[in-house]
Amino acid sequence: MSDAGKAGLRLNNSELWGGLVGLVLGALVIWAGIKFNLGTVNDPGSGFVLFYVGILMCLFAASITFAAMTEGGPTFGSLWKGTRWRKTLVVIASLLVFARAFDDLGFLLTTIPLLLFLLRAIDPVRWTVAIPLAVLAPLGSWWVLKRLLLIQLPSGIFNIG
Amino acid sequence: MDVLANVAQGFGVALQPVNIIYCFIGVFIGTLVGVLPGIGPVSAMSLLLPVTLSGTPESGIIMMAGIYYGSMYGGSTTSILVNIPGEAASVVTCIDGHQMAKQGRAGPALGISALGSFAAGTFALVALMLIAPTLAALAVRFGPAEYFSLMVLGLVVLTFLTQGSMAKALFMACIGVVLGLIGLDSITAQPRLTFGRLELIDGIGLVPVVMGLFGVAEVLSNIEQVIKRDVLTTKITQLLPNKEDWKASAGPISRGTILGFFLGILPGGGAVVASFAAYALEKRISKTPERFGHGAIEGVAGPEAANNAAAGGAFIPLMTLGIPPNVVMALLLGAFVIHGLQPGPLMITQNPQLFWGIIASMYIGNVMLLILNLPLIGMWVQLLKLPYNVLFPMILLFTIIGVYCSSNNVFDVYVMIAFGVIGYVMRKFGYEPAPLVLAFVLGPMLENNLRKALILSQGDLTTFILPLNLRWISASCLVLALLLLIVPLLPSLRKKRELVALDEGA
Repeated sequence: MSDAGKAGLRLNNSELWGGLVGLVLGALVIWAGIKFNLGTVNDPGSGFVLFYVGILMCLFAASITFAAMTEGGPTFGSLWKGTRWRKTLVVIASLLVFARAFDDLGFLLTTIPLLLFLLRAIDPVRWTVAIPLAVLAPLGSWWVLKRLLLIQLPSGIFNIG
Repeated sequence: MDVLANVAQGFGVALQPVNIIYCFIGVFIGTLVGVLPGIGPVSAMSLLLPVTLSGTPESGIIMMAGIYYGSMYGGSTTSILVNIPGEAASVVTCIDGHQMAKQGRAGPALGISALGSFAAGTFALVALMLIAPTLAALAVRFGPAEYFSLMVLGLVVLTFLTQGSMAKALFMACIGVVLGLIGLDSITAQPRLTFGRLELIDGIGLVPVVMGLFGVAEVLSNIEQVIKRDVLTTKITQLLPNKEDWKASAGPISRGTILGFFLGILPGGGAVVASFAAYALEKRISKTPERFGHGAIEGVAGPEAANNAAAGGAFIPLMTLGIPPNVVMALLLGAFVIHGLQPGPLMITQNPQLFWGIIASMYIGNVMLLILNLPLIGMWVQLLKLPYNVLFPMILLFTIIGVYCSSNNVFDVYVMIAFGVIGYVMRKFGYEPAPLVLAFVLGPMLENNLRKALILSQGDLTTFILPLNLRWISASCLVLALLLLIVPLLPSLRKKRELVALDEGA
């Protein structure tokens, strides 16, 4: 990481934010530990380990925050500089849409469009390759899982598959 | 004689046709993921974890084990021919292996790598066979304090060896423990951190967590870059090393095997550390250290033997203590648990057919790997040319299918996507997922043993450190863990840590 991409005690210092998020998470775990009953040393309760792990999390997060303030850290922009981050976002979004539709539309009606979309969205594969692959791979998987291994797969509202 | 009878019983299990098929599938997939950069044994094993449900426990574990030691073989092919490590344990093989390939000696480099791996793998199995029952007999006397301290040491060693900031690695381990504690408390049956969701009562599943962190996150990290590979196009001839090569490699293979095996047993260690240590050892004792980095065959033979021996050694803590020493073994533990089995000191006596069957299958698997990696090397070279724009969508499809089939619940698919995004962001911010996964698996055991130890000792904290009975084990583990936590604070030792830091999850 070049110094140009580094930030000290500034708001775009990613390390600083990482540490601060860690502190919040640690505090939440401590709170959960207290809520679930700490118990005593000779009879530890359900929250005993959570509480002490939360304290450790806060200590480590504080150390990360301190290091970020003294040594600086990469800026948010530099972490994604020169990357194709839009493709990553598109893939995440497509996976979420897929998961949302999976039970309603069924295995085949969701996996075939998903695979076709991914084959074209990441680094476009030729249609002549993408279409057969997007149909045959889910169909083959469906046959092995449903017919061979007798695993239940959703067939959706159209009862396909 | 007992050992021979047990081995015979093991071969009786391993030679059943269905187990031979599972063993072949395991080593084949292992070699495949070893060859393909970007997909490691952890991703492949997490992908196939649900598949183990369809067969017997023996078949499932035999296949999972095959993927692990198979990937050790396959990783060297990519390192030598492409100069990209197929998996983390083959990073060091790139240095001299690729130089040998550039000098037209790809054949001997691949040959010594496969033959050295075979010799080391076989040694590790014999050692595993002899050491495991003895250690298991000792482990029966372990109490909760010893188990707790061993797990703490395992986690600290892994965080110590993880790349980058140790504070971040320790933070990830803590997150892993917290995630592992989600669900019903095993002692009081109180639901914890379930947020009122019934799906979380039994905790978060290992499969969606691992597939998300290693499968989906790996793909998300890779697709934002344009990946180019420069596969060596010259024809590979003469795979068998000549007399000179053998003479130069015999010592490194022997030393790498022994060193790797013992490093593999250590909690938190494993194949990656072993390969780096073997390379450093060979370079240090060599009369011509200047040849290293320029195509020295010792720099291929030693590390390759070490990572295979370590893969065998890593089975010892899991099989005898029930404690996974690294992430791969944590996944194997997951496979045992899925089948209702608990590896540990009693497994050898209660499930001898399983224990000896797995060991015998590893002998068979090693022979299969030798055949797969020598005469069929051309096939793996062709696979290196498989385009990533086809591979990544297929990986995503199979992770989704794998996660859904493991629970028949779309909730786990959401969990996997969430962990995929978390894993992707974590990598960006320099947080390694390996400590999280190991702590996630060890978390419930860690808590259980800590609470049991405290209840049994009536809150006496010295139970972990007083050298009574076997408590010296507990005390030694805790002292060692403390030392490892202090080391990064000392600037001179911090540099040494950075030199051995590894990427276990790759």
